[in-house]
Amino acid sequence: MIHYLVRRLIALAPVALGVVTLTFAIIHLVPGDPVVAMLGETAAPADIVGMRHQLGLDRPLLEQYFAYLGGLAVGNLGESISYRKPVARLIAERFPATIELAATGMLVALLLAFPLGLIAGANPGGAGDLGAMGFAIVGISIPHIYLGPLLMILFSLDLRWLPLTGRGGLEHLVLPALTIGTAMAAILARMLRQSLIRVRESDYMRTALSKGLSARAALIRHGFKNALTSVVTIIGLQMGALLSGTLITEIIFSWPGVGRLLISAIGARDYPVVEGCVLTFAMTYVVVNMATDLVYAIVDPRVRMS
Amino acid sequence: MAAALVALAGCSHSRPDRSPSTIQVDIEISPTSTDPRFATDAISSRIEELIFDSLVKSDGDGRFAGHLAESVERPSPTEIVFHLKHGVRFSDGRALTARDVLFTYHSVLAPESMSPKRASLEQLRTIDAPDDYTIVMTTARPYAPALELATEGIVPAGTPLPAEQNAAAPIGSGPFRMADYQRDEAIRLERNPYFPHPPDAVQSILMKIVPDPTVRALELAEGVCDFSGNNIEYDVLPWLAMHQSLEVSKTPGTTYRYLSFNFRDPRLRDLRVRRAIAYSIDRNTIVNTMLRGTGRVATGLLSPGNWAYEGNVTSYSYDPEKARQLLDQAGYPARSNGMRGLTFEFKTTPEGARMGEVFQAMLQRVGIELTIRTLDFATYYADIQAGNFDLTSLQWVGINDPNFYYMVFDSKKTPPHGQNRSYYSNSSMDSLVEAGMSNLHPEARRKIYAHVQQLAAEELPYVSLWWVDNVAVMNRRLVGFDAFPNGSFRSLATLTLSGLDGGGDSSQ
Repeated sequence: MIHYLVRRLIALAPVALGVVTLTFAIIHLVPGDPVVAMLGETAAPADIVGMRHQLGLDRPLLEQYFAYLGGLAVGNLGESISYRKPVARLIAERFPATIELAATGMLVALLLAFPLGLIAGANPGGAGDLGAMGFAIVGISIPHIYLGPLLMILFSLDLRWLPLTGRGGLEHLVLPALTIGTAMAAILARMLRQSLIRVRESDYMRTALSKGLSARAALIRHGFKNALTSVVTIIGLQMGALLSGTLITEIIFSWPGVGRLLISAIGARDYPVVEGCVLTFAMTYVVVNMATDLVYAIVDPRVRMS
Repeated sequence: MAAALVALAGCSHSRPDRSPSTIQVDIEISPTSTDPRFATDAISSRIEELIFDSLVKSDGDGRFAGHLAESVERPSPTEIVFHLKHGVRFSDGRALTARDVLFTYHSVLAPESMSPKRASLEQLRTIDAPDDYTIVMTTARPYAPALELATEGIVPAGTPLPAEQNAAAPIGSGPFRMADYQRDEAIRLERNPYFPHPPDAVQSILMKIVPDPTVRALELAEGVCDFSGNNIEYDVLPWLAMHQSLEVSKTPGTTYRYLSFNFRDPRLRDLRVRRAIAYSIDRNTIVNTMLRGTGRVATGLLSPGNWAYEGNVTSYSYDPEKARQLLDQAGYPARSNGMRGLTFEFKTTPEGARMGEVFQAMLQRVGIELTIRTLDFATYYADIQAGNFDLTSLQWVGINDPNFYYMVFDSKKTPPHGQNRSYYSNSSMDSLVEAGMSNLHPEARRKIYAHVQQLAAEELPYVSLWWVDNVAVMNRRLVGFDAFPNGSFRSLATLTLSGLDGGGDSSQ
């Protein structure tokens, strides 16, 4: 296990390098000037030149790239151009909010997906299946940008149960987590249903039934655990969708997370912040997938960490 | 599921816990800077006005009136003397004197500050303080709009340059002080204890940064937000107006929306093509439908409230037939499909895409094909600055002195030296705007700018579209809101609160 973990951690380095290189290239090659964004159009040309020099933006791109890599090697993500703060500090201030949102979104997704998937998979073609899969189609189809305001109108404006925006107590988390978790719940529910239908035909299920177990008990005690293996894989892969979902959700709910920081940094062409945020998202994704692999081994003892 | 989570959270929602004398104002983005020596964008300027005083302030008609200055004299064409009011105090109790004014200007002008405002002070040659309550400015040459140089927000002497852009603002002598600032989240303003105000006035303002326009509307409807100025989408205004607790106020504004051409394109240098485009756009219909009546069809940069406004200029009412004739004359005859082989690219941001589609449909009726290219703001802005566009539409905010024409139409003011992004060049226009800048006699200037407006309407460096109304949506517990034509938030400082419950209500 430890050997496996060390190998995966070492494999992080090339992934990080690839992410950094791609992000650096894309953000520097698209038009837009952070100095003009900061100083404004009316700034004196000499000041624009001076500021560009001060920030090192007048150096050749390759030189800037290697300087950035050199900083990264010693854990320095650079300094924000528009915030004039260390990028690591900016991200550290906002990362807990994003993780809180993503984790609660995941929790909502699981709480919705497991019962829906079980209902659907227990009796394919039945009323429960139709209802659950109907929810899944609606859940996948509604974009965050539409679902968020809909939930706000219902639960904040009409029912007045929950606050509209901002980060605070648990009540502030409910609507953004529902927004971000619904689409994922729909995908997971469909996966679980398919897996359950597959395992229902398995020999061990027939054995369980022949031992006198009821269909429901056999499904929950034997079928569900086996069906989980494919679902766990999807959970890890869906983490990317969940993290990208935070970008829109954080804007809608005025949630002070890394997603909102990234959107604002892209607009200001704040290169170090964009690179730092993308790297953070990418590393989070990789680490979550690594954790998923570990969970996979727990769910399915036949899998060995080799 | 949500109900279960609410139960799990053990919560029932109520209005945010805040003092009844606190109001919430939703703004769309964070200010780029909270230091008046560096802030240039509209949101920063709106907030700056509540915290800092300047020597003069603009009034409603594009002129400037003394603010910190009790009186202003112009003893010679290049000299302006400001006599400061006595008894003005910063929010920490220090008296504001000429020393603070001098310090503020010196720190803006210092090359090491790299303040974006340095360029706007390029006409200022010297600034001196002969005594504690007198400031003398001299300009390099007779400069008519010299009072614009006196609009910098004053900070106390010794205020360091901002180390971090999201640091709370320095203190000022205006009605409020910035008590807290969390970038991308909120700004909290509290009363400057040394600035007189009525006892029932708003005591503190929570400016919450809410980027999504739908959410801003929902916050108003719910009663969480008390005031929103010029940042609510037109489509939801009728819905908000149905709420008993809300008042939707619409007043004439000075913000000017225009369609701009790239004069480096020989097709667009042809006046007949520009006029054809002007005749093709049904501005009345756009204002009445897309803008839901929140604008007035414009004749030029200066709105009717400006002292130099000239309304007697060539106008281009919707006339597609005339547009077709002009295009025929320009050598673009209609083909069998009605199109003329004239294709332009309209660059815009996502917010402007809908307007682009309207222009596209209207131009298609006269045989011009318009393709729409939607870009994120930074890319769009870079393209416009680099002259990498055919047509685009932008707006100018905060036009006061008509010298603005010099910045946008003088042939020397192309980027990066100015904002003539169309690369428009006309020697008559250059002579006029330069004369308007140096002539100190108001009546002579009025005549000069009447010619400028007539020439601009003839020549069409811009197609004037509309002046945007100032639309404020506010809770009825706010009393005494007085809209400024330039959309300023200044009136928030004099608002009082009625005893009404500001909570949300149901639609009528």
